[in-house]
Amino acid sequence: MVEARGVSRRFGARVALADVSLVVDEGEIVALLGPNGAGKTTLVRVLTGLVKPDDGSARVLGIDTWDCPRELRARMGLVPSGDRSLYLRISGLENLVFFGRLHGLSRREATARAWELLELVGLMEAARVRSGFYSHGMQKRLSIARAFLTEPSVLLIDEATHDLDPEAAAAMRELVRGLADRGAAVVWATQRIEEIRGFADRVTLLRTGEVAFSGSVSDLIAVAVPRRYVLRLRNGRAAGRELEPALRDAIGRRATIAAVEDGDAEHYLLHLAADAVLGDVLASLTAADVDVVACREERSEIESAYLNLAGGGE
Amino acid sequence: MTSLAPAVGPGSELRKLAAFVRRDFLIAWSYRLPFIGEWLGLVLQAFMFYFVGLMVDPAKLPAFGGDQVSYLEFVAVGIALAAFVALALGRVASGMQEEQLTGTLESLLMTPTSPTTIQIGSVLYDLIYIPLRTAVFLVVIAVAFGLDFDASGLLPASVVLLAFIPFVWGLGVASAGTTLTFRRGSGFVGLGSSILVLFSGAFFPLDLLPGWIEALASVNPITIAVDGMREPLLAGSGWDGVGRAVAVLVPLSAVSLTAGIVTFRWALRRERGRGTLGLY
Repeated sequence: MVEARGVSRRFGARVALADVSLVVDEGEIVALLGPNGAGKTTLVRVLTGLVKPDDGSARVLGIDTWDCPRELRARMGLVPSGDRSLYLRISGLENLVFFGRLHGLSRREATARAWELLELVGLMEAARVRSGFYSHGMQKRLSIARAFLTEPSVLLIDEATHDLDPEAAAAMRELVRGLADRGAAVVWATQRIEEIRGFADRVTLLRTGEVAFSGSVSDLIAVAVPRRYVLRLRNGRAAGRELEPALRDAIGRRATIAAVEDGDAEHYLLHLAADAVLGDVLASLTAADVDVVACREERSEIESAYLNLAGGGE
Repeated sequence: MTSLAPAVGPGSELRKLAAFVRRDFLIAWSYRLPFIGEWLGLVLQAFMFYFVGLMVDPAKLPAFGGDQVSYLEFVAVGIALAAFVALALGRVASGMQEEQLTGTLESLLMTPTSPTTIQIGSVLYDLIYIPLRTAVFLVVIAVAFGLDFDASGLLPASVVLLAFIPFVWGLGVASAGTTLTFRRGSGFVGLGSSILVLFSGAFFPLDLLPGWIEALASVNPITIAVDGMREPLLAGSGWDGVGRAVAVLVPLSAVSLTAGIVTFRWALRRERGRGTLGLY
């Protein structure tokens, strides 16, 4: 339903997208992951026909998005990244009714649909309040409601949960999941990596305009190479910073280790050297008469994979 | 999956215009103070010209239908039309600029609405409100200052105004397209409209100008509109002369509107291609 093939786009000397491909099938949620400036928003804008690619092509429902006929726009929903896409001098309800009418609904249909959506996104109480008085999170929820006005076949969401509290963000993901379950293809651009687990079907990770990874969430996790661990250590003679010299002696150059700031006296942060293996380090500690009570990664494996691929890993 | 089946077609495009008018009415209503200020400004301007008129020798003014008119009677149509030109041109030109500035233009373009509908819709409220305001202004100052307007001239004058509206609209649309591309274009619009109004005979008789400027000014579309409205209102000439004014204004309006729409669509496509539509 959504297909980008070899899309490249420059803005002056800056390469925003370089040979990016993306396919989203019916009923599928594909997360577009990447740090700021990775090219997520540009790709979303290419897919909506708001930006013309220099090379390659983008097709939605089999139609080239640059031509973007009205029939195609009628079946697409967009949640843009910024707040500046609503009429701030009129109410949330009037915003939805206006855009509903531009989607071809009659005033009565648009009003009924607007009320339904305001209830879905939890804005019933603020329906008649000027949207300029809304918080960023409320404006984002209104923007999401607008994208749902006509039950789109293709939904493109750019940083939907950026301004939302965890509860509202979860509710939005549930809404989007529901739409995908009814057959819509969803592109979910985000830099909040923790939200893609159990939500996105596949991930495309962009780094400085290039695809750094494309595959399932479990494939992404497999790319993770965790290097930082939090250890809980016990030694009958010393604890906390007093134990640090003995620990350093035990592990040598294979890692660095330090007591966790603000932690209790048993927690230490271990940072493995590039060629070191965790098992060897733990064995050295045990041999030095230190009990390893617990060991866990400092980051989730998904975060670790993200940082490795996006170039932010240590 | 099935969508809510939004309507796409010429009929639905026309219905969307009503949505634009409602939106702009609600937005205008949310700015009550500027709305009232605009009216007060017009009334103050009428007072100013009333007092200026006391110093003007009516013999220096052209006669209409053989009758000498007062300066305020002479200038009232000019004030109304000049305000109409300035306001309409400014609003049409800035309509798209505002959409771009507030970031709503891309949201509009993501709906199944044609660019022409968006352009017309964005200014339709003003194109209804401003002529209405012009007519109300003329009636109010005629009553307040006891001006001797011929009531039978209201309809012919309105027809001239209607023929003139697309001319201003076209200039505004062209200006909107220029602003879309160059971001800052409103200064040129203001300058252009001021020159056209200055040399239109709106505020003083054209025969006060040097001969060659007078000749140029006589083909100024605003001159034709001002004269076309003054004759029926002040001389009581009814429909005489309206046909001539309309015959000149309609083709000019058609050219202006076509050029404006072509310029605007070109600018829109260019900015979409560059990916700078949302930038201001």
